[in-house]
Amino acid sequence: MWKKSLAVPLVAALFVTGCSSATSNEENTTATSDKPATWIADRTIKGLIFQDAGDISTYMNPEIAKVLKEKTGITLEIQGVTSEDSTQALAAGLAAGDLPDFIGFYLNNSGRPEMPILLKAAKEGMFADLTSSLKNTSIYSKYFQDGYLPTDAKTNIMFRPDFNGATYLVYTAISRNTGQIGKKYVGGPFVRKDIMDQLGIDPSTINTTEQVYDLAKKMKDGHFKDAHGKDIYPIGPTVWGGKDVNSLFNDLVWTGPTEEKFMKDEAGKIKFESQTDYGLERIAFIQKLLKEKLIHPEFFTMEENRSKEALINHSFGIVAEMHNYIPENNNMTYVPLGPINYVNGPYQMQVDYKSGGGGWSIPATTKNPEDIVKLADFLASREGKLLAQYGIEGRDYTLDAKGNPIAKQEVLDLKASNPAEAAKLGFRGVGNWWGEYLGYTDLDPKGDFGEDAYGDAASADTNKTPNEIIKLWDYDGKLKAAKIVDGLTPLSFIYDFDQGADLRQAIDNYNESLLRAYYSSDMQKARKIMDEAAARLDKYGLKEYVQFLENKESAEKVSIKF
Amino acid sequence: MLKWQRRIWLHRYIYIMLIPSIAFFIAFSYLPMTGLVLAFKEFTFKGGLYGGEWVGLRYFEKFFSDSQSMVFVKNTLIISSMKLFLALPFPIIFALQMNEIKNTRLRNVFQGIAYLPHFFSWVVVIGMIQRILAPDTGFLNQFIDSLGGDGSRFFMMEKASFYPIMFWSFIWKEIGWNSIIYFAAITGINPALYEAAKMDGAGKLRQIWHITLPGIRPTILILFILSLGSILSAGFDQIYLLKTPGNMELAETLDTYVVRVGMQDSQFGYASAVGMIQGVIGLVLVIAVNQLSRKKFNTSLW
Repeated sequence: MWKKSLAVPLVAALFVTGCSSATSNEENTTATSDKPATWIADRTIKGLIFQDAGDISTYMNPEIAKVLKEKTGITLEIQGVTSEDSTQALAAGLAAGDLPDFIGFYLNNSGRPEMPILLKAAKEGMFADLTSSLKNTSIYSKYFQDGYLPTDAKTNIMFRPDFNGATYLVYTAISRNTGQIGKKYVGGPFVRKDIMDQLGIDPSTINTTEQVYDLAKKMKDGHFKDAHGKDIYPIGPTVWGGKDVNSLFNDLVWTGPTEEKFMKDEAGKIKFESQTDYGLERIAFIQKLLKEKLIHPEFFTMEENRSKEALINHSFGIVAEMHNYIPENNNMTYVPLGPINYVNGPYQMQVDYKSGGGGWSIPATTKNPEDIVKLADFLASREGKLLAQYGIEGRDYTLDAKGNPIAKQEVLDLKASNPAEAAKLGFRGVGNWWGEYLGYTDLDPKGDFGEDAYGDAASADTNKTPNEIIKLWDYDGKLKAAKIVDGLTPLSFIYDFDQGADLRQAIDNYNESLLRAYYSSDMQKARKIMDEAAARLDKYGLKEYVQFLENKESAEKVSIKF
Repeated sequence: MLKWQRRIWLHRYIYIMLIPSIAFFIAFSYLPMTGLVLAFKEFTFKGGLYGGEWVGLRYFEKFFSDSQSMVFVKNTLIISSMKLFLALPFPIIFALQMNEIKNTRLRNVFQGIAYLPHFFSWVVVIGMIQRILAPDTGFLNQFIDSLGGDGSRFFMMEKASFYPIMFWSFIWKEIGWNSIIYFAAITGINPALYEAAKMDGAGKLRQIWHITLPGIRPTILILFILSLGSILSAGFDQIYLLKTPGNMELAETLDTYVVRVGMQDSQFGYASAVGMIQGVIGLVLVIAVNQLSRKKFNTSLW
């Protein structure tokens, strides 16, 4: 989840630029002398976003909407479709037809479950070809420059050979500069600082699951209390609710930072986790934690609101996963634990050559799709980002001598005291994402606005806790030693593989089987469950797929990142 | 004018009144049924329901050749059989009990309370169950704890607890609603029969056994036959919400499978094929049991 926040920003929609020769029913696309240079057309643009409820902002602050209208002529309307699963929402939305002017979706990389649905829709002519429109922009045209897009985005998403020169899917959240880090996220397991102080243990020295186990035992034996005086659970779920996480159990998960459970063994052979013993080792470890009541029984299933409540009450010694910007941890009760080593050695930060995140497409039925592209380009420009990320000058920020925005203290105070009310001001800094779906790309917050994170320049206290955690975790030291990668993830090729769809299902089934095995009554039953899952993977071509990946690497010289 | 035309003309106002309901069934039952063609076609976003390529019986072959499919069928049959057969006496007994309450006002109160849960969404009901059964913090576990037992049992995660939770939550939610029709049938029984039985010295239980139950037998049979149509549908929302990693082995049914595989991977054709299998088996069962019921009990749907 913290990676989602990192990699999948929200993308929103708006307005646009002008001077299109085409006309649609409701607009006058002729730029006149009294219109600003950013004018697109006098029209309404509607976007439909297929993401989780927390990532969709449908509210447009009237004053922000007015400024957008003045600058571009566009009235932007965002709607969201949420479901238990964003892929289901997307599949249902595309099947229903009747799509608005543009759609937005998650697309961390081409291995995401949304990809086959988007590919199918693109190949069936559901989306408009945006090649020429994109080339005529000032920001998005950078996508066509060599080295601007990361490999996966370029060859697997936007400019796929099988699209024959057309562009149907637009990838976003691309950093402007290579290896650039915008907002510094420290994600992974966190631990209660007061408990670590009492136990005299430095959280950064916990680097193995064995040490996690010992620490959990000490927490249990120490009878540490939560805010209500009840005994804590040593290990609790993520701050976003119950799910299977890797970062707390890294040295028992056959995966690297991509978290796809594919990796190379010592001999350099690619393997999936089912072809190793790590799955069973992790099951045995988690069963031991459950049996000894060191891990919350609802670790994999707890609802988000209860998990958040437990965080506020400090009911868990260790929170399996969160990050340094979680507002509920503003008092820094929890600090990072570890990081836990990988199966193949000590933790090393892995930084993508270029970041990437969500995506958008324009249905083939949209009139004048170039207007939407112009709007996306405006929103990706500094002027658009200023409006979408900082709000309105005078109301939300002032400008310093260099022309950079300084967030107003009353806005920062409101954000701290009443985040929901602050979000109604309608820009990214206060948690409204309307500008992200189309315009969150070509990212360089430091270069554009003189600060890495909203509010930094206004007051050192704005991101006090997150910044302290960054220092505590030695983020910059880890970044110096980071491995910069530009490659494709193992699953990004799965739909080029004959049995790809079935194999993908078998992989999902493997992950579900793990959950079942964690809660099975003994290891014999767990082994049976995992053997069935492994047999299913073999039936649907896992071995052939591994061979396929090896060929990609050796024969086609494709860089694969694990 | 032919005889049948004359007859229609004679009852023209009744036929006119029929038009809305016929239109309703055409629009909402028969037209959507044409979408079953998707079970034999490759779904395309562009082509919609009817535009894809024919794939013959590919989806049916896939379903029947998948070892997991039979597990889902078995799970579905167990759950739906519990709801059909085991749960059948509960609303009948409840209706009989209500019939014995002579104070109308009191009976209405009881019936009202019993109907109410039917109007709760399963999301709310399962939410309550989760809270009641939660490990450590749930009401039941706190009660067990106060008696000195282990208050950390995770009932929702235990395979052994799945059927009882599923069954009793279903009974609690639906018993009142399902008893309405039985109660209506009971009130239609001629009171003279009871008078006569009393004169012959029959007690309460004998009256129920010899008069009430035979009196509502046609109703029981008709409702039973109708519900057989959904034998391969175990009720999506309740099961979906009760499903946890611990009970998945028992709780993955055809309904949840269709949603998971069909929706998640946009395999609408495959999902339609599985849905069609459910429907066809239900239809065959209804026809067969209807025949049987007509021969044996002289009661049938048609």
